[in-house]
Amino acid sequence: MYRSLFNILSGRNTRQGLWGLPLLVALLISLWLTVETTQFATAENLFNLVAQAMPLIIAAIGQLVVVLIGGLDLSVGSVMSFTTAVLALDQPAIVLIPAVFVLAAFIGLINGLAITRFNVHPIIATLSTQYIVLGVTRILRPVSGGTVPEIVIDAVSGSFLGVPYPVFWGIVVILVAWKLLYGSRYGLHLFAIGGGIASGAESAARNFGVSDRRNIILAYVVCSCFAAVAGVFLAGRIVSGDPNVGLLFELDTVTAVALGGTQLSGGIGSLHGTVIGALVMALLANGMNLANVSPFVQTAIKGGILLAVVGLQSRKKMGL
Amino acid sequence: MAAVLANPIARRLLRIPPSYFVFLVLLATLWIARPNMLNLNIMGIFIRQIVPLGILVLGQLVVMRVKSIDLSGGGIILLINYFISSGSFPGASLPFFVVLALASGLVIGLFNGFMIGNRRVSAVIVTLAVSIILVGLVQFLSSGNPPGDVPKLFNDLYNTKFLSVPTPVLFWILLTAAVWLLLSRTVFGRYVASVGENAEAAHFSGVPVQRTVILAHTLAGLIAAIAALVQTGSIAVGSVRVGLDLPILAVAATILGGVVFGRGDGGVWGPFFGALCFALLFVVMTVLGIDEPGKLIAQGVIILGAAIFYGVRVRTP
Repeated sequence: MYRSLFNILSGRNTRQGLWGLPLLVALLISLWLTVETTQFATAENLFNLVAQAMPLIIAAIGQLVVVLIGGLDLSVGSVMSFTTAVLALDQPAIVLIPAVFVLAAFIGLINGLAITRFNVHPIIATLSTQYIVLGVTRILRPVSGGTVPEIVIDAVSGSFLGVPYPVFWGIVVILVAWKLLYGSRYGLHLFAIGGGIASGAESAARNFGVSDRRNIILAYVVCSCFAAVAGVFLAGRIVSGDPNVGLLFELDTVTAVALGGTQLSGGIGSLHGTVIGALVMALLANGMNLANVSPFVQTAIKGGILLAVVGLQSRKKMGL
Repeated sequence: MAAVLANPIARRLLRIPPSYFVFLVLLATLWIARPNMLNLNIMGIFIRQIVPLGILVLGQLVVMRVKSIDLSGGGIILLINYFISSGSFPGASLPFFVVLALASGLVIGLFNGFMIGNRRVSAVIVTLAVSIILVGLVQFLSSGNPPGDVPKLFNDLYNTKFLSVPTPVLFWILLTAAVWLLLSRTVFGRYVASVGENAEAAHFSGVPVQRTVILAHTLAGLIAAIAALVQTGSIAVGSVRVGLDLPILAVAATILGGVVFGRGDGGVWGPFFGALCFALLFVVMTVLGIDEPGKLIAQGVIILGAAIFYGVRVRTP
């Protein structure tokens, strides 16, 4: 019992990575906010917190899928902005919502193909698609505006039996991701490919009959689709299209993933860790807002956290 | 495709950095669209505008040859612009600002290098995070508004000409030559080449891999500080967004110039022409009436295209 508790807290000998510590941090921040402020521990603020954290949770789960195979997707933020811009195109929802996912999957496909077929480094491939998608988004919608379909707005702002819809979004997304990562052959293959890459044996999974190329392409498609879900949610919250809404969001997702104990070199990580990591980020933002910290300082602090959590991970490879 | 790539002439051609071809294509486009723009005076002005980018490229190519990347240039430029324009150092002279800028660049570059070389953190994450922290701090210190003015001397220096060539352009060429000598004639240059080719083999051959990476990043920080001084001279005012898109342009120009992670086929002059390509590209796009979103797309397509160009080549033995 003590032994396993120690293992969870230290993240040793586990494929899930160090997720116990961020959970502890989340609990400590919540405790501190409960004691220090009267507004924190109210149902209203907590539900609000869930709604605020939801885009990050959804997008971070997508990022996790890519990080597990030792990649990184820097186009997440652009895909989210792009999604809100497409949703605000003033077309019927029945056209727009499928279109958003087809386009996101296409972006993921380009990322995956460039990486696997053309040997481009994941960071370079997704950095270029980030700029291309951002450019297209700015053409569609130079400044924020327009209106998104009613159904998208209703889907995030209503409530059922006193529980607001964002909570259900979270439950559904986490269940789908759980099935994908832990209840499917695909999830097992992700860990296999990533474990091989992390230990320097890129062909290990292929030698056991796991098609690495196809699975890697699929990982980038899945990541983009999760980013699109996050974008749809965000569009419902801001009720319009905004080309800057996802700016630097990809870094927040990387922070959340790394904070949740997932190794950026691949193969080690967990869904629950990522959700906890995203919650810690949301709690910090909530706390800093309650404490009236300047938004510019908040950005700097987020950068510091990113540097700290990624800097604490040890890695064999040097460079990119 | 494979047969074409195996052809010796095709392979020889593929070794030439794409920037030379792109430069010629852009020059031809401009010559057809606006022949009257192709005179020394107008070109001098356009080229002068991208000197900060060109200088930043020099640092970028050094780190990219050791299989790393530096995206912190935007933060460094913003910080140094703030130092000079905020009036926090009343009565300070030009040498003081130059020393201050170089010292800040050195410290930030050393930090990047330590995190990447010693702590082995992903270079993209470190340098992006450093940039975000610096941008956040500068925006907080100036409360989101542009700070004050830049001492007049900066802009006066920037506007001088030497034998009808703008001084900044001349400075850029001299600096490029210096980096070229550094990489081709010194022990450090040999170390950089060997670490990029194969870090493990370099380590076992007695090359101080870690020190080379740290030094490369320190150099990149220093060069970014020089770029910041030129950039500040060119805009002549304080700003909270100047130079933020420069690092990514520098990466694009470097890849276009034939220097991809670990491979330095393009030397120093390939990326030099890569930066010149962007000078022409912006002129051509303005002439053709393509605005900011189009430029973003062009940047992305150029990086991806050049990276695929090299990726395909690495594949074929």
